[in-house]
Amino acid sequence: MSKPKIGIFGLTSCAGDQLMILNCEDQLIDLANAVDIRDWEMAKTNNDEECELDIALVEGSVAQVRDIENLKKIRKRSKILVAIGTCAVWGGIPAMKNDVPRDIMLKEVYGDKVEFIESKAAQPLSSFVKVDYNLPGCPIEKDQFLQMMASFLNGDMPEILNFSVCSECKMKENICQIVYKQEVCCGPLTVAGCGARCPSHNVPCSGCHGPIEEVHYDAEAKMFQRKGIKPEEIIRKMQVYAAPAWMPEKLMEELQHESK
Amino acid sequence: MLLTNPSQTVCKSYDLGSNPYKPELARIISIDPMVEDNYLFRFRFEDPDLNNSFQYRPGQFMELSVIGVGEAPISISSTPTRRGVIEMCIRRVGRVTNALYRLKPNDLIGLRGPFGNGFPVEEMKGHSLLIVAGGLGMVPLRSILLYALDNRQDYDRIILLYGTRYPDHLLFRSELEAMMYRSDVECHLIVEKPALSPDTPEWRGKFGLVTDLFDDVKDLDVKRSYALVVGPPIFYRFVLTKCLDMGFSKDHILMSLERRMECGIGKCGHCEIGSKKVCTDGPVFTYWDVINLPEMI
Amino acid sequence: MKVVKLPKSKVEEFLSSLQDFGEVIIPKEKTEHPGVYYFDVMENPSEMAWEYLRTIIPPKKYLHKPREVIFKFHKEQGYQEVIEDKETKRILFGLHPCDIHGIKILDVVFNRDYMDPYYYARRKNTVIIGLSCLPDEKCFCKSMNTDYVEDGFDLFLSDIGEDFLVAVGTSLGDDLVAERAHLFSEVEEEDRRKYLAFRKKRNESFRLELDISDLPYILDLEQKSPIWDELGKRCLTCGSCSMVCPTCYCFNVYDTLNLDAKSGQRIKQWDACLFKDYALVAGGHNFRENRAERVKNRYYHKQFRMVEQYGKPSCVGCGRCIDACPAGIDVVEVLTKVREGSYVTH
Repeated sequence: MSKPKIGIFGLTSCAGDQLMILNCEDQLIDLANAVDIRDWEMAKTNNDEECELDIALVEGSVAQVRDIENLKKIRKRSKILVAIGTCAVWGGIPAMKNDVPRDIMLKEVYGDKVEFIESKAAQPLSSFVKVDYNLPGCPIEKDQFLQMMASFLNGDMPEILNFSVCSECKMKENICQIVYKQEVCCGPLTVAGCGARCPSHNVPCSGCHGPIEEVHYDAEAKMFQRKGIKPEEIIRKMQVYAAPAWMPEKLMEELQHESK
Repeated sequence: MLLTNPSQTVCKSYDLGSNPYKPELARIISIDPMVEDNYLFRFRFEDPDLNNSFQYRPGQFMELSVIGVGEAPISISSTPTRRGVIEMCIRRVGRVTNALYRLKPNDLIGLRGPFGNGFPVEEMKGHSLLIVAGGLGMVPLRSILLYALDNRQDYDRIILLYGTRYPDHLLFRSELEAMMYRSDVECHLIVEKPALSPDTPEWRGKFGLVTDLFDDVKDLDVKRSYALVVGPPIFYRFVLTKCLDMGFSKDHILMSLERRMECGIGKCGHCEIGSKKVCTDGPVFTYWDVINLPEMI
Repeated sequence: MKVVKLPKSKVEEFLSSLQDFGEVIIPKEKTEHPGVYYFDVMENPSEMAWEYLRTIIPPKKYLHKPREVIFKFHKEQGYQEVIEDKETKRILFGLHPCDIHGIKILDVVFNRDYMDPYYYARRKNTVIIGLSCLPDEKCFCKSMNTDYVEDGFDLFLSDIGEDFLVAVGTSLGDDLVAERAHLFSEVEEEDRRKYLAFRKKRNESFRLELDISDLPYILDLEQKSPIWDELGKRCLTCGSCSMVCPTCYCFNVYDTLNLDAKSGQRIKQWDACLFKDYALVAGGHNFRENRAERVKNRYYHKQFRMVEQYGKPSCVGCGRCIDACPAGIDVVEVLTKVREGSYVTH
């Protein structure tokens, strides 16, 4: 059987997910033997930028006009397109400031004369193309990545986790950030897979893997409100990575209604 | 009626010290497409001793592993009276079965079981069997049908009522059509609509719903009969009423339920409903059990 | 039952000596979080938290592991059994009565009908040494009839001030005492009085109460109660209550494949009936699609189904789920409201 042809790409992103692939040091040789990496600008020279691909791994959100073209081109040449990292899956950190008009933001960041960038509100890949599999994480987890690749090599779609960080946190026997520290912890909202990385270091979950399928924003927000935390803070912490656009406003309405 | 507990009778292979979670290697003997996305797989254990000694009861299920992908519960469609090969009619529906459909004859898979209570073949002796199947419900019922025919002297009348929407979806069609000419079984088939595909042999039988076939069942002594009913939820609603109208008592109506039976041995919790575990207390339940358990159908 | 006396001055020596038998597991206090406890391997008997309340996770983690490899597999060779800690001799020391009752329930679930070889292998190598305790405001074991244990332990230590009374529950427990006979002495009249006084004090210390009389029948009548929808609105379905429950045994089995796409591991991992996919079958039908159904199922499993299946509820009143629920859902409050028919929205 011939090795599957792989391309790894980054749109608007920090390249952290691609870096995590390179960080799979112990398995990198096995991985390189199992697949044929044809196109990976970040890690190799002599890339074939036109060939057909079995699997494309795409990092980053669509936050520039040119991202759309690149993404569509990748989609066209790939059998399976995988969104890797929370930016690609949900929009991630760049989507946090989607409510600020682009020209104002560009001015703030780059000053008056900006011609090299055509910025747009950050969106996930799925807003533009069909995505076959989502691997969230900021950055992605090595184990989950390798497991996903093994499934692809076997011809399967990897399984999708659909439970929250809390279960992994409890299995690690961490103290609960919500119960013991009255912190805004996104654990109950956030899909597992990280092994409760942050709470294991006594830091509340910031939700970097994005929400579980059946997310319960209002129950969580009201719960924090009952603990005496201000609505502004609750919403600010809940919207960092992957909150849908309606969430802040609707939740604020709900919480203000509740406090009356 | 108390259905027999399988762990005391059938599953002798799982004595203390053996591992009921361990799949045994089995080989795919053949794969026959029956209807779209519903193929008949034949398996044989790699270990010849196990293959010869393997016993089960009609209505039981196995846990099938596609190695490297996962495990899924699958009903047995063959009869224990015909030893040596296990037949399962498997629908392509999830991750495991999709992977199974990629395999070829001679490939290896894992099998463990049998699990569940199965149909109470001993208790049903001397009775007539009214087997009512809708759609895929034929999968577990074919096992008891063949079993009863192979032990013909043990049962009084054997009646099959089987309906699907299209003739394209009739499972075991040629086998069942052949039965229509036998005198020792009353086989009635029905479909709602003509064939979808030009490749499907033309339907010359009845059109209608499976409930219409109850009119063909004449002079059944319901006090000396069991109704074995398996089909989709909507099917139960109408067929159960028909059975009750005929005068069947609730504990003589048997149904086989589908749940997420993951361990098969009553440990993992996934298939629990009401106070029952479908994998060990079922999958065969009486209608009396079912109406006493919320969430059953 | 045989009862002997162990002076507190000798209890650390006793603990150290247990290491000859095997790994000793004790409750410890989290250094960075005073008042929070967990079970861990003893390195030094001074780490023992004698006055501990409840640990985050019950001792079930040593018998029914949060995550364990159960098979290694290979496409040509099939499945090869792996039983983690199969040969490890282990003493679970300092278990409160509720946790011992929890293990008794797991014993029934895992060993009845079919033997779970993973649980069984570890269970048969495990010694249980209980320890008396005083309740806090979340303990309701007295209501669940799990505040005392008559069996299910090898030894049980009751604190009577200067000494422990040590009840010997098994032949193995008797050996553990006999091998260390120099540490123990006879029980005297005064010790018995002290024990009865301790017992009285303990019985009077319970502040939380739950009436469980006739509860399965009441629950059956309240199948359609609005309280389940109310709970569905509050519950985050995070599964924390199940993870910390001494009697929650549900697990999920899944395979992880190696990069050779031929070999890998089959893994058994704790699952919770609160999770969305818990009752999902291939083909997409979910038998407990909505949150309220799943929350309700947890209560019915503990208080209704287990009574029908095994003759008693599978709640031991340890208070861990009350402690762990971020949304503040309180099992005692819920079941009391069901009984009273009073449902107040939060």
